[in-house]
Amino acid sequence: MNVLIVEDEKSLANEIALFLKRENFLCDMAHTGTEASEKIAVNLYDFVLLDLGLPDYDGLDLIKEAKEINADVSFIIITARGAVEDRVRGLDLGADDYIPKPFALAELHARIMAVARRKFRISSPDITLGEFVMNTGARKLMHGNTEVEITKKEFDLLYYLVINKNRVLARHQLYEHIWGNALDDQYDSNFIDVHIKNIRRKLNAHAPSPWLETVRGVGYRISTDS
Amino acid sequence: MMKLQTKLALFNLLSKLVFSALFIGFLPLIIERINITQTDNELIKKREEVISLIAEVGIGPFVMEDTATGFGSYNILKEEYISLERAPAGEEWNYIDISKRIIDDETIDYRVLHYSLGINGEAYLLEIGKSLSSITYSARNIRNLILVFLAFFIIVTLISDLSYTARLLKPLRIITGRLRETSSPAFDPAEPLITSTEDFVRLDRTLREMMKKIGELFRKEKEITVNISHELMTPVSVLRSKLENMLLRDDLDPATEAGIEESLRTLHRLKALVNSMLMITRIESRQYLKEDSVDLQGLVREVTEELAPMAEDGDLNVILNCGSSYTFLKANRPLLFSMIYNVVNNAVQHTPPGGRIEITGRDNDGRFELSVCDTGEGMSPEQLDRLFTRFSNRPSNSSTGTGIGLAITKSIADFHDIAVRVLSAPGKGTQFFFFFPVNSL
Repeated sequence: MNVLIVEDEKSLANEIALFLKRENFLCDMAHTGTEASEKIAVNLYDFVLLDLGLPDYDGLDLIKEAKEINADVSFIIITARGAVEDRVRGLDLGADDYIPKPFALAELHARIMAVARRKFRISSPDITLGEFVMNTGARKLMHGNTEVEITKKEFDLLYYLVINKNRVLARHQLYEHIWGNALDDQYDSNFIDVHIKNIRRKLNAHAPSPWLETVRGVGYRISTDS
Repeated sequence: MMKLQTKLALFNLLSKLVFSALFIGFLPLIIERINITQTDNELIKKREEVISLIAEVGIGPFVMEDTATGFGSYNILKEEYISLERAPAGEEWNYIDISKRIIDDETIDYRVLHYSLGINGEAYLLEIGKSLSSITYSARNIRNLILVFLAFFIIVTLISDLSYTARLLKPLRIITGRLRETSSPAFDPAEPLITSTEDFVRLDRTLREMMKKIGELFRKEKEITVNISHELMTPVSVLRSKLENMLLRDDLDPATEAGIEESLRTLHRLKALVNSMLMITRIESRQYLKEDSVDLQGLVREVTEELAPMAEDGDLNVILNCGSSYTFLKANRPLLFSMIYNVVNNAVQHTPPGGRIEITGRDNDGRFELSVCDTGEGMSPEQLDRLFTRFSNRPSNSSTGTGIGLAITKSIADFHDIAVRVLSAPGKGTQFFFFFPVNSL
């Protein structure tokens, strides 16, 4: 997928690009609104990651412009301005999602995947985890023909780990993904440990789950063979 | 406490009553005076009539030779009498006084005009009298009339005073009404008040100027909030992304990995801190909307379910007493969620294994009350005093919270006019109470 990163903070743009390239995205960068406008005019992007705080351009104008050229382009707004009005206006103008700084790269990845699935109607694949199969469409975890009874939050946790498989996710990243920014100040590393413990207990009642790993001192990881 | 309008009307009424009482007090004197003058004038007129009658027909018909006294005439009710009798010569009378006369064995007070007449060289005394009882009778009539008129006057002016002051004070009502409706000083001052009362125009102008100034200050504060978040969050974001990418490298030894994770955790804390402070600032400058109708019982249940795994892990017995749904209007649901979540989470974190947490939501005669009671460590009075102060409950363990949660809770409660009460003692657990206001329409 083709992604344009519009971000005036060069080092941040570089880090995003570095991360997404590892996930096999084709990345392009623009550090000003004018540059972005020019690149959008000549290239077909699937995604534009747009920082609203551009020095030379109202980011929201850029959305309008880009949509006129290519109605299919998806926008994810990145902003340090947490103002609700910006968010609402951005989504009104056709942005597909909104992610406040400072975000986890894993979270950005998950959001892109979610938009892509919605947009391109990618049929939700079944993901095999050891003896388990995760049905991402129906949001169910199966062991053979039996459904593993896990809560919505537990499913979300597992799924976030699956999207970022083979990569360790820190507890606070997992917490942030599940509970969002509003409850940031209530963060307790124990929250995630308890949920993982519950997930393991439920899984192990059916079959062992060695694929769900604890990475000492860091967090958790789902390792797949492929 | 009394309304200005009532005060004005009362003062008017009182002054009228005092004036009327004085008037009524002096009324008999005045009426008597008027009556006597009136009577005297009548008596003098009668005297002239009698004199002209005598000039016309002569004294003959009036003076009977055989009687010693002379002419006397009474009307049947003895209200008036006229007498004409011979008098010793050389004496002159011309005065009016009050005298007693005995007529048919009845003593009656008369207002009497005495007048000496000289006719054909003879001296006569003419007396014309009018009974005092007939005078007082008419005085009473006049007084009654005046009393009725006064009562009528007072009632009519009271009503007109009330309606006029109501009209006069309408601008004041409009101004106070506007102030009451203004929940946020960032309000756009309404158009100037139209009134012919200069004082109100001045009051309105002053208030509108003040509102504008405060609104301006709030707007600036809002701007600063946005700027701080932008300036701080971008570098934090750069750092975070760099560290996260670093963590993905395959050549890291476990110690480096753990070090990077720790740095990321610290960054997360910094982010949480800035977000929490921004949140409080935004709540206090009323940048959040209150447009949700929230089922509070459902919200409490949701929070409890959310924290159930934690409570279970801590071997806590959570008792949830929730009645049927209660809808709280004009609220911000996510904020209320945070408010309740913070308190319940606080209870979960500070209650030792085997403890109990009781959460009760009830509709107390139209007002919703929520209590969260735990059997936890409890707090000393000093801790209790500083409970809602930012950073006062800063945890020693860097992995939990920012110590700002309860300050957020308090500002969310204030934002929704919810009263908060906390009871606690060391070893006795903590009881949190939220008293919601009556739904405003």
